[in-house]
Amino acid sequence: MDTIFWILSIITIIGAVMAITLRNLIHCVLSLILFFLGIAGHYFLLRADFLGAVQVLIYIGAVAVLMLFAIMLTRHVTGDEGPREVLGGKWWAGMGTAVIIAGLLWAIIRKDQIAQALPAGVAKTSVAEIGKALVGDWVVPFEAMAVLLTAALIGAVVIALEEVIRKR
Amino acid sequence: MSIPLGYYLMLSAFLFAIGLCGALSRKNAIIVLIGIEIMFNAGILNFVVFWHYKYFAVLTAQMFAIFAISIAAAESAVGLALVIAVYRYYRSVDVDQMTSLKG
Repeated sequence: MDTIFWILSIITIIGAVMAITLRNLIHCVLSLILFFLGIAGHYFLLRADFLGAVQVLIYIGAVAVLMLFAIMLTRHVTGDEGPREVLGGKWWAGMGTAVIIAGLLWAIIRKDQIAQALPAGVAKTSVAEIGKALVGDWVVPFEAMAVLLTAALIGAVVIALEEVIRKR
Repeated sequence: MSIPLGYYLMLSAFLFAIGLCGALSRKNAIIVLIGIEIMFNAGILNFVVFWHYKYFAVLTAQMFAIFAISIAAAESAVGLALVIAVYRYYRSVDVDQMTSLKG
């Protein structure tokens, strides 16, 4: 189990680092898929089977493919970006912020009592329980989520179609 | 399974910092969205880890994780639509060229 944790963690971190450092945008999204797969593996290792499946379906199946389409729609067909600068103007400020946040979180977690905890038995939740809870105790947030997703869908279509509507 | 909770929390904090670094320092708006997705995933991992170590009621953490994943999907759909709209206007998705509101 420990070995699997370390292997998955290394895969996840390599995927995340490559997703934000590579020059080619398509390669960035492919590394992001590696990162999502690592996170899904962590969910399976933590016995959250349903969330692992949801992670693969939604993130790899929908979000990553959506990003690939956005790259295809916004990039010039010439392919490589060439010697252009990939970092923004104040990149050192962003990287400094990230380093400070990582250091602060590391210091807090290292000193905290909770961080020493070991799992007290195996936690288990079946898919049937999740389904019953979604239409039982959690029905109000479930319906609110349905409204939010509809609004996001309509909003995305309206924003992306703006120019076409204006031309008519 | 004898990994202490802190290892997962440190992994999650590290991934959050990587995502933050990407969102703040890269020029391309799509990479900024990728950084935001990495931060979302680091946060959701925390819910699942605390569920596994029984710091939450049985179903609460999984429900929070499911709703957070749905919100992240909606956010990325709207974000990418905005990127496409911005590309139509500026012919570029570099965040430092969007300076219309700069004083």
